[in-house]
Amino acid sequence: MPLDRRTFLKGSAAVAGAVAGTALPVIDRPVRAGRDYDVAKSLPVDRVVRTTCSPNCTGSCGQLAFVRDGIIVKIQQAADYPDTVYNPRGCMKGLSYINHIYGEDRIMTPLIRTGERGSGEFREATWDEVLDRVASEFRRIGEAYGWDSIHVFGQVPGSGYIQKGANYRASALLGMTHGTSFDFNGDLPMGMPITFGVQNSDHEAKDWANSRFLLVVGANPVETRIPDVHFLFDAVERGARMVVIDPVFSGTASKADAHIRIRPGTDAALGLALVHQILVDGLADLDFMRTYTDASLLVRTDTGRRLRQADLLGDDAEDRFVVWDEAARAPITIGTEKLGMPPGVVAALDGTFEVTLHDGTQVTVTPGFALVRAEVGRWTPEAAEAVTEIPAETIVRLARAYASEKPAAIFMGGGAFHWYHGDLVGRAFGLLATITGNIGRSGGGFSVYVGQYKVRVIVAPWWNPGGRKLKVVPSIYFLRGRTETMHPAVPYPEAGFKALFCSFSNMFIQSPDINRLHETLRELEFIVVADNQMTDTVAWADVVLPATTWYEKLDLTATPLHPFLQLQQAAIPPVGESRSELEMWREIVRRIDPGLAAEYFDVTEDDAIRMILEAGADPGGPTEGITLEQLREGPVRLNVPDPDIPFLRQIRDLEPFPPRSLPASLEATAAFLPTRRIEFYKEEDRFRELGETVPTYRDAYDDRVHDPAEWPFVLLSSHSKWRIHSTYSNNPWLAEIHGGRATVLIHPADAAERGIGEGDPIEMFNTRGSLVALAQLSDAARPGTATLAEGWWTRYFRSGKGVNELTSSVVNPIHEVHFVPNMWAPSTGWKDCRVQIRRAPEGVS
Amino acid sequence: MSATTIPAGAIRARLTARRPLVLWIGFLVLVMAAGGAAFLYQYANGLVVTGMRNTVMWGQYILFFMFFVGLSAGGLIVASAGRLFGVRLFKPITRLAVLAATVAVLLAAIFILPDLGRPERLLHIFLYPNFTSPMIWDIMIVIAYMAMSAFYVWLYVRADLARRGSWLAFGTGTSARALAREERLKSAMAWVALPAAILLHSITAWIFGLQISRGFWYSGIMAPMFITSALVSGLALVILLALVMRRLGRLRFGDELVAFLGGLLGIFIAVLFFLTAAEFLTAAYPGAPKAAAFERLLVGIYAPLFWFEVAIGLGVPFVILAIRPLRLNPVWVAAAAAIAILGIFVHRLNLILNGLSYATIQYPPGVSVGVDQGLGSSFALSHWYIPTAVEWLVVAGVLAFGALVFTVSVLILPMQEPADH
Amino acid sequence: MSEPKVSPIDALPAASRSYGEIGPRSASPHWGMVVDQERCIGCWSCAVICKSENDVPLGTWWNRILTQGDELDQPMEVRGGALEMDWMPLACQHCENAPCVKVCPVGATYYRDDGLVMQDNDRCIGCRYCMIACPYGVRTFNWGEPVRPTPHSTGMIEVRPVGTVEKCTMCVHRLAEDQVPSCVWSCPTGARVFGDLNDPASRVNELIREREGYELLKEAGTKPSVHYLPPRRKNEL
Ligand SMILES: Nc1nc2c(c(=O)[nH]1)N[C@H]1C(S)=C(S)[C@@H](COP(=O)(O)OP(=O)(O)OC[C@H]3O[C@@H](n4cnc5c(=O)[nH]c(N)nc54)[C@H](O)[C@@H]3O)O[C@H]1N2
Ligand SMILES: Nc1nc2c(c(=O)[nH]1)N[C@H]1C(S)=C(S)[C@@H](COP(=O)(O)OP(=O)(O)OC[C@H]3O[C@@H](n4cnc5c(=O)[nH]c(N)nc54)[C@H](O)[C@@H]3O)O[C@H]1N2
Ligand code: SF4
Ligand code: SF4
Ligand code: SF4
Ligand code: SF4
Ligand code: SF4
Ligand SMILES: [Mo]
Repeated sequence: MPLDRRTFLKGSAAVAGAVAGTALPVIDRPVRAGRDYDVAKSLPVDRVVRTTCSPNCTGSCGQLAFVRDGIIVKIQQAADYPDTVYNPRGCMKGLSYINHIYGEDRIMTPLIRTGERGSGEFREATWDEVLDRVASEFRRIGEAYGWDSIHVFGQVPGSGYIQKGANYRASALLGMTHGTSFDFNGDLPMGMPITFGVQNSDHEAKDWANSRFLLVVGANPVETRIPDVHFLFDAVERGARMVVIDPVFSGTASKADAHIRIRPGTDAALGLALVHQILVDGLADLDFMRTYTDASLLVRTDTGRRLRQADLLGDDAEDRFVVWDEAARAPITIGTEKLGMPPGVVAALDGTFEVTLHDGTQVTVTPGFALVRAEVGRWTPEAAEAVTEIPAETIVRLARAYASEKPAAIFMGGGAFHWYHGDLVGRAFGLLATITGNIGRSGGGFSVYVGQYKVRVIVAPWWNPGGRKLKVVPSIYFLRGRTETMHPAVPYPEAGFKALFCSFSNMFIQSPDINRLHETLRELEFIVVADNQMTDTVAWADVVLPATTWYEKLDLTATPLHPFLQLQQAAIPPVGESRSELEMWREIVRRIDPGLAAEYFDVTEDDAIRMILEAGADPGGPTEGITLEQLREGPVRLNVPDPDIPFLRQIRDLEPFPPRSLPASLEATAAFLPTRRIEFYKEEDRFRELGETVPTYRDAYDDRVHDPAEWPFVLLSSHSKWRIHSTYSNNPWLAEIHGGRATVLIHPADAAERGIGEGDPIEMFNTRGSLVALAQLSDAARPGTATLAEGWWTRYFRSGKGVNELTSSVVNPIHEVHFVPNMWAPSTGWKDCRVQIRRAPEGVS
Repeated sequence: MSATTIPAGAIRARLTARRPLVLWIGFLVLVMAAGGAAFLYQYANGLVVTGMRNTVMWGQYILFFMFFVGLSAGGLIVASAGRLFGVRLFKPITRLAVLAATVAVLLAAIFILPDLGRPERLLHIFLYPNFTSPMIWDIMIVIAYMAMSAFYVWLYVRADLARRGSWLAFGTGTSARALAREERLKSAMAWVALPAAILLHSITAWIFGLQISRGFWYSGIMAPMFITSALVSGLALVILLALVMRRLGRLRFGDELVAFLGGLLGIFIAVLFFLTAAEFLTAAYPGAPKAAAFERLLVGIYAPLFWFEVAIGLGVPFVILAIRPLRLNPVWVAAAAAIAILGIFVHRLNLILNGLSYATIQYPPGVSVGVDQGLGSSFALSHWYIPTAVEWLVVAGVLAFGALVFTVSVLILPMQEPADH
Repeated sequence: MSEPKVSPIDALPAASRSYGEIGPRSASPHWGMVVDQERCIGCWSCAVICKSENDVPLGTWWNRILTQGDELDQPMEVRGGALEMDWMPLACQHCENAPCVKVCPVGATYYRDDGLVMQDNDRCIGCRYCMIACPYGVRTFNWGEPVRPTPHSTGMIEVRPVGTVEKCTMCVHRLAEDQVPSCVWSCPTGARVFGDLNDPASRVNELIREREGYELLKEAGTKPSVHYLPPRRKNEL
């Protein structure tokens, strides 16, 4: 270390500073600069460790940790993907994580609350003290109210099967209820299970480059898919056109050939109008509809349910459906074991027919598609213009452009379906992609990359020890209690919730409707939070467990965006007294039930990873031929087709829908599609009660709660380029760029109306809550929309807890028709939210 | 003679007579001490303690450097002009003028020091000079100019010193031969001094004028501008000092000289006006690359400063000096001179601030400020430079040092040119 | 702690190392960079890794991303009322005719044979004349002791002394081990390409030719070694 000027000054020579000049250059040596550069090399390190960046992000980017004297001195992308088009991945956030490993907000020791909940007043404690405390409280509560009254909440398991899995393992062993993330995060695009019977559908990112037309709907890949967005540019370089549908001029809009400004929450109407125009232009691929969808299956006009063979023959073939053969002018029954039509059958897609049931009654039937077409028929470009505020002729041009390019990809983001009626958006665009035959095609498809949800390996042996079933309760019910329409299969605790164990989440500001959530929290007898940063959630904990970062522990990760299985590997020993989640749970469970611990928690991360790899190792299994040793060296491609495209087997081999969605069983999700085909007609009662049997459009839900006349702004809480949710909010390097203050983007006209100037503190409020942030005025905003990116910690607001004081936690009963956690469950409508804005009253500013 | 023979009262009287001087010197020493301390503090903590940042990376110190280079102009002009054009009128104030020039350029040189991030590396300038750098040219010429003026001063007072038998005469005598050599040297000096002065100001101008990166500065007119503004401030300084010295009874000369100098000053100011106008016509011409900077000056945030410079700093003195009766009144001339000096100072201030305070590429978020901003962006498109207390103290210290040198000099050196013999 | 130290380049996994190799070059290379504004998404990964690689203190950035718009990441209105936004990453252009080199009184900033403009922080006297001279505003001064978010120094080169000027070095310490600059490595969209401008066949020259590469502030006559590729013309719906 070169002697610095101060020390030099102390060294007497002070006064003679200038005089001593000649002698001084010596003091800076060895200088790493100047002439030395001609020979200079990087400073040496102890070692370089290959690991994976794993916030609750879809990136899952391989990183190298450069360690010097036991300290990480640089984090940089590994750029070692065998499929080199994926290199280097990464983003500025991952590259600056070093500031969180060693930053001011890092939690170094276990803490026990001393002040009020939320006051953030804690005292340091020993691990033994906090572990005993957690164990005894859990035992007390478990025995008093039942173990299921303890709710374990953790985020997106896909980014850490082992450590996040430890939450599941412990829950399964002790009978605690585990929460959900994909649906709770609103990332579950309910249109997917409803239409395709799957949790989600996504082409691996590199396949975007094979597209001829990119329709980006409510996604902002330039800011939220930073490692992969270049694949869109690759396609563009090869001549593809890119159209972005977004109310706001987003970073992605700046790259698009055309940016179409839509009125928020109306994408379903746009989707239907596009289909309408395609049908009008005769560009629809109706054979594709016959082959793969329920289009030709007959529906009884009396009951609104599908006509089944059982209806005709009185047998018990509830799973054989009926089409009208134009050739034979007669109904033909078809099974669900295979897609397509029996040879020679020309299935009708239109018209009404009379059939006689086994009991002799006559009923009128019509192909499902006739009902779909009837609804689509209402959505002329003009009708859509009235709702979406997109000029009709723009819609017509878009329809023709999309339908005339093959393959054409639809890339949908949270903005489009983070709405109460987001399922209808998904159904409309699912129809668009299918009716143009883009499903199961490289470069085509209907993809959603929202949330790091994807479980791509067989986790059962680790998550369900000894085959124990997990009790999973969608966390929305934890937040707001059970709904009348809640699915009976939801294991809601008898006694309600009494305790919470929150890990891997800044739940108390990232959840919707947090003022309501905080009511719930007040009722809880015990709150434990495990985190490595002093977040707003930690501030509410009774007991805080200091967690290691992903640079200090071993884990197994994957993502929807690329098909590589990777390890998080410890580059340094745990900082401070922090511990891994596996270690935490091992100790907690041991204190509650030593027997269980000895049997199920006496395992290392290595063991856990091996369990998972082996479980998927059988021929065709996801981890076939993958070993831990390989993974230590770098990323290994899962055993998936290349390129990895959903529905290949269905489209190519006419296998019935749906493909399996891990970790659920096929049976569980197959129930979503009684016809085992892509379904645009839903016959379940609630769809009929709510008039949503076919894709349609509904006004935003919050318009009913907040009359648009009185609450003129739609609040879009998009995801910020500068953060992963709330992670990185407190990153000094990034704050130097964006300024480190919560800002609300509004249109200058809206601002002028309210006498709001650039940078003024403004109050944003509705019946659920209010906050004060700084105004940012730009034409990028759409009049009547305000954007306050989610994720700011409370401390970055002038007042209020955060954006989620304003958002809604209302549940759409359609999401409760079936229940498979994270696959068919209540999905949060973040953007379905109205507010009013005014200059902040003096005092707060 | 021995002390006892002096009446005690006389001694006391003498001391009391000198008290103002003692106080004055004490005061200067005090200010110097403060300045020195401030400088050490700055040296220990780095220039972060100044108001400068990556956006405005030159401030007070360079400003005073330029300003004092300018002030040094007066002396040699008066001296050499006196000789070359035989303006005998100047004679009584010649010594004062050259002394003032010497002290001014000395201070200019000193002001470079606190501006350096590594003052202790000053010697690098001589160890590794890079001759493509205007700054090197400038440092060379400043040193040369300093030596020259010092020698010039000595040349003028040498004879009297010799007569007093002071060692400062360095053994030179007052023989006719010696005096003749002195005369020859003086004439020779006059010939070098004038071009030297011109060069000094031109080069100082080029430090700024050659920077294509700074539209506001990048101009051929910079040198003439500097010369004229130097003439204005330099002459004004001489006038002021002369009148002060006369007030203190240390110098004798008639009002006609004052009027003459005043007239001269008026002319210089007029020329400066002309150049400024000329420059603005070309540069502020709509669409010209520099237009933005000039707009800031004419109507933008710098307008107050600029119009102060033009209207008050130069306009008022010009008017005063243009009106004959006022010109004949030393008090008015003194006032005009003082205001003119202020005017030139503001002129320099505008040059620096307007030249620097806006990033060269005006795209957000701008250039990195260079200092941790705590919470908040660390980039800026513009910067409003305000000198800190440290900078003021350092400047005050240097000024005090200059005043001290001047005071001591006039105490030990005979300032009054003997009436021709 | 006790572990023997190794070069971070030698310690790279094989695949990573080959990813970063500079590749073919002429006998006497002139290093240069191409920045593709069509691909640039203004993510600042290049700027952040620069900070990390070079232990650049808080408040100081050698590399930054300008928004060609109204404010950071906000578009501007263009003719016809349409909105447009582009990003312009900006670091030292390593000018062939560098004003900073010309004006440095002590030659503390100088040319290397391979076209790089270097900074000698041992010789620099901190006069900041080079900052005045640089038309790109990429030089930055060490006003005070370095402040970092971490309790210890980071990065791959030692921090520069207070009172001297610093700037992008083109990661010369990486070039010495045949690795591309860190910002080139870390750009997630491949918007930054590094190579030999003296080699007509090099990728950089190829791109400059095919994509009509341009120089920033060409009129200043600085002859930058960094070239920009303009954003493409959009083809309407
Ligand atoms: N940098 C960064 N990247 C991330 C994340 C992050 O927090 N930060 N989070 C990750 C996760 S978990 C998720 S879920 C994804 C989410 O990322 P995205 O899927 O991109 O979702 P959002 O950012 O919420 O919204 C995207 C765009 O939708 C627009 N939008 C809003 N309402 C509407 C609408 O009604 N219709 C249409 N067509 N557009 C609308 C918004 O203006 C915004 O530009 O990002 C992932 N990647
Ligand atoms: N208004 C609004 N709200 C939203 C959204 C929106 O669009 N609008 N988006 C929603 C979406 S899509 C999502 S995915 C959620 C995400 O919501 P969260 O996942 O809760 O948000 P994060 O800030 O990513 O929280 C991750 C936390 O885990 C901590 N952490 C990191 N590593 C570890 C570790 O190794 N161990 C432990 N124990 N903790 C660790 C981090 O410090 C951080 O506090 O936000 C939702 N919230
Ligand atoms: S934050 Fe997300 S995108 Fe950025 S490096 Fe980490 S995983 Fe990749
Ligand atoms: S990393 Fe690449 S894409 Fe990101 S700002 Fe830098 S150049 Fe642009
Ligand atoms: S960009 Fe500026 S610093 Fe870099 S070489 Fe050119 S002039 Fe010098
Ligand atoms: S600051 Fe240093 S590098 Fe810049 S000109 Fe002065 S001495 Fe040269
Ligand atoms: S080349 Fe190196 S020093 Fe220069 S900007 Fe890139 S990372 Fe920074
Ligand atoms: Mo998400």
